[in-house]
Amino acid sequence: MTNLAEALRDLNEDLVNELVEEKLANGVNPIDIIKECNEGIVAVGELFASGHYYLTELMFSAEIMQVVMEKLEPMIAKSSAAEQTIGTFVIGTVSGDIHDIGKNIVVNLLRSHGFKVIDLGVDVPVEKFVEIVRESGTKVLGLSALLNSTYPEMKNVIEALTEAGLRDQVKIIIGGTITSETVREFTGADAFATEALTGVKYAKSVYGK
Amino acid sequence: MTSELQQLYNDRLGRYQAAIALETTDRVPTAFATTYFAEKQSGYTYQQIMYDLQIWEDMEVTFAKKYPEVDLFRTNLSWSPSWDITNHQLWRVPGRDISPTSLQQFNEQEWMKADEYRQFIDDPIGYRMDVYLPRILGEYQDRGSVRSYMAFLKAGMSRSVYGAAAMKRITRLEKECGIPQGTAGMFGAPFDILSDTYRGFNGIMRDMFRQPDAVLEACEHILQQQLSTSWQMADPLKRYPIFIATHKPCFMSPKQFDKFYWPTFYKGVKTLIDAGWKFRIFLEGDWGAHWHHMAEFPKGTVLCDIDNEADIFAAKESFGFQQCITGGIPTDMLILGNPEEIRARVKLLCETVGKDGGWIPNGGGHIPEDTKPENFRALLDAVLEYGKYSDNPAPQPTVGTPGTNGVVFPEQGIVTPWDVIKKENNWKIPGDEELIKSWWERLDKMAYGWVCGQ
Repeated sequence: MTNLAEALRDLNEDLVNELVEEKLANGVNPIDIIKECNEGIVAVGELFASGHYYLTELMFSAEIMQVVMEKLEPMIAKSSAAEQTIGTFVIGTVSGDIHDIGKNIVVNLLRSHGFKVIDLGVDVPVEKFVEIVRESGTKVLGLSALLNSTYPEMKNVIEALTEAGLRDQVKIIIGGTITSETVREFTGADAFATEALTGVKYAKSVYGK
Repeated sequence: MTSELQQLYNDRLGRYQAAIALETTDRVPTAFATTYFAEKQSGYTYQQIMYDLQIWEDMEVTFAKKYPEVDLFRTNLSWSPSWDITNHQLWRVPGRDISPTSLQQFNEQEWMKADEYRQFIDDPIGYRMDVYLPRILGEYQDRGSVRSYMAFLKAGMSRSVYGAAAMKRITRLEKECGIPQGTAGMFGAPFDILSDTYRGFNGIMRDMFRQPDAVLEACEHILQQQLSTSWQMADPLKRYPIFIATHKPCFMSPKQFDKFYWPTFYKGVKTLIDAGWKFRIFLEGDWGAHWHHMAEFPKGTVLCDIDNEADIFAAKESFGFQQCITGGIPTDMLILGNPEEIRARVKLLCETVGKDGGWIPNGGGHIPEDTKPENFRALLDAVLEYGKYSDNPAPQPTVGTPGTNGVVFPEQGIVTPWDVIKKENNWKIPGDEELIKSWWERLDKMAYGWVCGQ
């Protein structure tokens, strides 16, 4: 692992920024810098999975990555930036719920892992999900919620996608600590996640990564 | 109150108190915390209940009468006009901002900026009045306008309206139904207050990495404010536990929790325990990495509501020998399951975590609104069937020693001390100065507490 990847893994924000600057000054290609950072992000994910890191640490790694990306993205040609994208992920908190902590964590993590995320925000009506799934052609849709009163609403979204003839094109994952296998079955979703990294892994599997 | 209802009240409260204290009771108590199921069952919308104080009161009384097996329950609602008055930005109000059938929802944002810690700590009232409140109170954005003055006046007036209504509701539950309160008064974990209402989740997460000392100092500052007010809102007879809803520990690593959360939380709770109060604490999310700390409090002093995603059996093992716990009935089972599953689950819990006391059935800190009525019925029936400890009568309730057991709480903040206005006016005070001063300062401190509590 390179020193930049290690700095990211150790959540040493100042050192990450210093090393990125240094590499840029030495003419290193921004895409290679991102690759090194990705290695650090993957290591953070492993530490999280093994119980050494907790959610805030996972989130802060995404935060560091975001700052790096803001710096590097303008330097990367559009075409190669697109090549870096794993795929599209549409996500929103379902109607009746305005909570977004969980959703935002997943959005940040997905972006740090290289996904193009279309974040529809909170209290998203059924029709909006249908419209954006159709327009974006996404292969994954994430329905987020905190309130356990949203089970029927999640089901409504999935039924509407079926009626619109879009169900076969998109895998649907419901997310939030209120989800479970029972809730997945009730709503007709393909998967559920009670923590963020499960959602990222699922999205990667859908896109064959 | 008839002697029968008085006896019922005594049995329920005595059973609840004994369970919290890990003492012997006649059966597992049915002492629920937040019970959104009661609201949904009433047929009224959240908007109707939260605006019409009579509907709210009737809703609780009707629920208590419909389910006499319930020892006590708690409503987790607020009176919506108190948010309307100031156009409070921290809350989304049923029927105004969101569907009338939706619960109130909290709008967590980075209301305080990362570079404002110093001002927040050094000038509590100035920071609130000049910076924070104009951001979170819509009616105070145009400071100094007639509307902004009216908003503060209305906020003060509304407190007496709501206070009287709450007292009436509590009294009816007690006198007409023999239902004691499940909690009285509130305390907030300093880290949660800082995170929930000031910095927001993303802000506090960054601060823990980027400016840890500022976070610690702010928590210490909030602790003093909490201690100065919370004991005055608690039950003076110390019959009912003080309520705490915790929010952020489930996101924190043990290292972060031990550093940022626990020290001020422990100090606050322990101080109030030393003064004679007990607690009911909702451990939101999975507290599995942290809940062993609960054993640090004296035995039988903090009743902990275990959330849906945490393992009730692990909680029992970790600190259940020291504190009573509630929970264990999965949310999805209450909403989507059937009575047989509920019955089997309650039986299992009675035979394990509730075997020798120290457990109260509950969903994840609450009974969800969409719980099937037949499942709630099955829950109660199963507790009565499997939760019996003895044929003895229920233990009788106790009241605490009046006062604070010698514990001295921090003085509440004050904007204009008596001496200042006295001097400004050259008052000579021919009468009893103490009479005048005590009310002057008491009301000023109450207003100070209101400003810092938004």
